[in-house]
Amino acid sequence: MTAMLRRLWGPAAAPRRQTPAQLFAQADRRRRDGRAAEAARLVAAGLAQDPDNLTGHLLAAYLHLAARTIEPARGEFTWILGRDPAHPRALLGLARIALEEGDVETCRESLGRALRIYPDFPEAQALLGATAARRPAPAPAPPPASPLERMRLPTLARGLIVLGPDGGVLTAQPESLAGHGEQLARMAGLAAATLRSARLGAPRRAVVESSEESLFVRLDPALTLALALPRTTQITQGLLEVNRMWAAVGHDGARRVS
Amino acid sequence: MSRLRLGLQMDGASRGRQVRDIVQTVARLHGVKGALIVAPDGFVIAAEVPESVSVESLAALAATLGRDLEVGATRLGRGAFQTALFSAEDGTLFLATSPIGFVVVLAEPQASLQSVRAAVAEGVGLIEAAWSEAAARAASG
Repeated sequence: MTAMLRRLWGPAAAPRRQTPAQLFAQADRRRRDGRAAEAARLVAAGLAQDPDNLTGHLLAAYLHLAARTIEPARGEFTWILGRDPAHPRALLGLARIALEEGDVETCRESLGRALRIYPDFPEAQALLGATAARRPAPAPAPPPASPLERMRLPTLARGLIVLGPDGGVLTAQPESLAGHGEQLARMAGLAAATLRSARLGAPRRAVVESSEESLFVRLDPALTLALALPRTTQITQGLLEVNRMWAAVGHDGARRVS
Repeated sequence: MSRLRLGLQMDGASRGRQVRDIVQTVARLHGVKGALIVAPDGFVIAAEVPESVSVESLAALAATLGRDLEVGATRLGRGAFQTALFSAEDGTLFLATSPIGFVVVLAEPQASLQSVRAAVAEGVGLIEAAWSEAAARAASG
């Protein structure tokens, strides 16, 4: 793991001889400044002296997460729990990885373990609340020839998904997008929890921009509608398009879920 | 010259300080309630948020949402996740990915989306520039 950190963050400068505790304290300060590469070098130096240090492995796990290298991070958290099964930060770390992988049950189980040991753990409470906020259910079978299926998409649209209040897919165009419903429901649930935490209220619209596509979303407690458009679409244009689809779907969706 | 860039040039401190400057500058924009930069593990690197907001909870959720957007975009073939905005009854939350984590901005309902988006993009650009420069120095040194 130490060698992997070195490779990940570049060549290590030879640090002055310091104790592992000093090195980890310095590393934590660097990490707090967002200076992950320097922190990683210090952690690697500390673990070289004290390979079984829990603090060092926890910092290593965080630095792997910072680099979005999930498997080594999982390995570090698991290693820590092998020595301290009640370590709350390691439980939280594994919970976050499980959620990232769509494994809500494992996530909740890890958070529950952490909260049983440390009930006053705000991050764990927040994540547990988010995973409980909205859990997708299997898609109900839509009635044949529903107006949802007959809706015309904008010319440049790449796809449309409509979810019901339980996160089940009401319609998807093309149909192959139905498999993306769970991802959309999870994003909507996490966004709702994040907005609640920021005291901004219930979500209404979202725009998610990736390098190749923009996703325009409208949502309320009864419906979530997501329209995928090319990345070059102007936000105002995308919002107009999604509003048009919402107007077309909204009444139908409200009737179906009532 | 933009307000963000001016703020950074006036203060030639460490990159850690630069990150705090970015957060402070964005948080002072008209119509912005607060801003934070959170590592992908949920660790708060810098934050300026109202006292009524629990920064630990918000950071944990924002980082989880950010990672979900990153992983989801890749998994669904949309390319790399870049930015998102979520508008709600009482304001808008902006979230953008950067080399050190996620830039999160909380804005009032009447805030100019374009202005905040531009400020977030500039903040991300400054972080990218500072960190790629540092990475290049580390690689050559």
